[in-house]
Amino acid sequence: MDGPAIAVRGLRKSFGQKEAVAGIDLQIAAGSFAGLVGPNGAGKTTSLSMMTALLRPDAGQVLINGLDVWSDPAAAKAIIGVVPAEARLFDRLSGEEMLEYAGRLHGLSAAQARARGGQLLDVLDLTGDARRLIADYSTGMRKKAALGCALIHNPSVLFLDEPLEGVDPISADVIRRLLTRFVGSGSTVLFSSHVMELVEQVCDHVSIIDKGKIVVSGSTQQVRGGKTLQQAFIDLVGPRASGEDGLTWLGSSSA
Amino acid sequence: MARLLVRLKLRLLVNALRASTSAKVSFILSTTWAVIVAAAVFALLASLRGAAAAVDLTTVIFTVLAFGWLILPVISFGLDTTLDPAMLTPYPLRTRPLAVSLLAASAAGPWPVANLIGLLGAVVGLASGWLGVLVGLAAAALQLLFCITLARFVTTSMARVLRSRRGRDLAAFVFVPIVAGYEFVTQVVPRAAAEGKLTAASFAGVDAWMRWLPPGLAAHAIADASDGRAGAALARLALLAAVIAVLGWLWIRSLARALVTPDASTQSSRVRGGALPFARFGLRGTFAARFWIYQRRDPAELAYWGIVTVIMVAVSISTILTPDGHPAVMLASSVFGAAFIGNFHANAVGATGPAFVAETAGLTGERSLRAYLSGLNISLGVIAAPLLIVVSLGLAALDRRPGYAVLAIAVDLAGLGAALGLASVFSVLAPYPMTKRVGTPMRVASDGFAVYGLAGTFGILFGVAVAVVPVIVAEVLTSGAPVLARDLALVACAAGYGLALASAGVRIGARAARYRLPEICQVAIRSRL
Repeated sequence: MDGPAIAVRGLRKSFGQKEAVAGIDLQIAAGSFAGLVGPNGAGKTTSLSMMTALLRPDAGQVLINGLDVWSDPAAAKAIIGVVPAEARLFDRLSGEEMLEYAGRLHGLSAAQARARGGQLLDVLDLTGDARRLIADYSTGMRKKAALGCALIHNPSVLFLDEPLEGVDPISADVIRRLLTRFVGSGSTVLFSSHVMELVEQVCDHVSIIDKGKIVVSGSTQQVRGGKTLQQAFIDLVGPRASGEDGLTWLGSSSA
Repeated sequence: MARLLVRLKLRLLVNALRASTSAKVSFILSTTWAVIVAAAVFALLASLRGAAAAVDLTTVIFTVLAFGWLILPVISFGLDTTLDPAMLTPYPLRTRPLAVSLLAASAAGPWPVANLIGLLGAVVGLASGWLGVLVGLAAAALQLLFCITLARFVTTSMARVLRSRRGRDLAAFVFVPIVAGYEFVTQVVPRAAAEGKLTAASFAGVDAWMRWLPPGLAAHAIADASDGRAGAALARLALLAAVIAVLGWLWIRSLARALVTPDASTQSSRVRGGALPFARFGLRGTFAARFWIYQRRDPAELAYWGIVTVIMVAVSISTILTPDGHPAVMLASSVFGAAFIGNFHANAVGATGPAFVAETAGLTGERSLRAYLSGLNISLGVIAAPLLIVVSLGLAALDRRPGYAVLAIAVDLAGLGAALGLASVFSVLAPYPMTKRVGTPMRVASDGFAVYGLAGTFGILFGVAVAVVPVIVAEVLTSGAPVLARDLALVACAAGYGLALASAGVRIGARAARYRLPEICQVAIRSRL
């Protein structure tokens, strides 16, 4: 593919007086494993919602594989997968039913949805829990089920919001390996996180967002600039805590 | 410690009042209601002075008040956040002082004060002589303490159950008997009292056993002291105090256990059958399958069907059981039944919550939106139509005038179509976020959106009432026709008419939703279910 997988131009969104996203531009090449990092409240989730046709922007354009998301949201949704920060699943469906339902909604035949669902549950290590209600799943299991739902139609671009938050190391490893395999086949992943170590480990492209604006965007090497990503991030976004002189009592054994 | 928890409770209340207008309104309403109840109970108890069955009636009133304290935590699933022991687990608190502090916090607030003022009416009603007044004051205080300890014991015992998913699921079904009980009291008791079947003398018999319940002990202690039987009065008070002590001890034990017992709700059974039903019926079948599964598995949905049945019966039962009652009241049952089915589903997206975002993957245009709304209608219709018909037949059988059953069924079908049609339109044009309070599976409108729910309720009730008028007019106009043919034609036409109304609603809703999907999505995301 010639153009970028994700192209964002001048994206803006305000909620009342507060400007959550203040005009962001972003280009992610196809086949990238891209990270969008920023402190809490920086506008990561709002930006991802606008890129995935869930939140109408005030201004700007989002192109996925050259397709304008906001002029044809349905066509865009057919080629993307989304894993939100809080898994949006039907609690009263079993894992197996949820995946089949997601497949059917993406236009797969019943047999195809069931077959792909079974394979994804297997890879995600959920086969043993396939017939339990999602209401009874742990956080990690819910994230894995949500990932299964986002992948069942084989999207070319996958968006994830804080994919590993609250997930145990074993589930995290399963998710990471599946994503790496997905990117290895030429598909694109954009995920938001504030866990720098994770971004540094898996991403080849990093964008840092703060106060609704992209502060820096480029290859992980470029953004790090010879430091750890954590240090580069703190240098760019600035330390938020003030001096700790007042805490003289902290750490002493006396009450 | 006690002061700290009382202040914490008051602080939480003040913060809630500052944060939202609806909290302010509900606090003012609740306090006004508490003042009215306090005055009414005080006046009622005081008015018994000199009555023949004064002590018997005081016993009954004391018992009813204690029952209120028992049932209140069951209805509201725990009263406030200070009192959930789980909130206090991180702090180094010993169980006994914690229990005393929680009791003190429970006593702070308009309702306990209102209850105490009301109970003091018994001093006016029963006590005579200084000993009578003294025992009366002590009895009122002990009765309040008994009520609070009882409520705390129930809340703490339930807290463990209600923190598990299974427990919360089961709790939904408590709503059905509560609605039924409320309807019984508001319909049957005033009628029985008006007909002279319920008088003060009716309660004389119950006192024989109620006097030995803790509230009875309190009431009879006042009477004993006033009659000069000081020993008996003090013995009764001592027995009541002992009951409170035992209840308190049980509560402390239950509290100590609750503080260290984790939630075991994730141990659950598996569902039968792996595949979605109706999968071969395309997108409409897929949506219908999801809604159908929810009708069976979501406890709130199951409770809704129970409540619809209770409402239908409650609307007309007392008239039907009266010999000269007009049987046309059955039609009111049909209208209310249909309207409430629509009302409970008039915010399909808000009630679905953030999971609706997953469904938008399939909502690519007007056609798929029609599939969504009609899928919902199909899953509701296959339950609602038989339910409405069976209840109507049951009411007609009770009334022994089966002729009215046919018209009632025709109204059921037309009303159901109108209700589902309106529900589709409301779901799209006025969606609002919904919330589940901690510990209950029932959904309510999020803060500030209650007016949307009310608009839906009245809008649909009015719409259904208007929509069934042609069916009733058709019945009246064809009264001369042969009965069987007329009945068959009436039911068939009503069914067709209902179907047309429902599908008109689906079309209007789908067209309106076409360009508003992202906005509707945001409403769904704001639901906290």
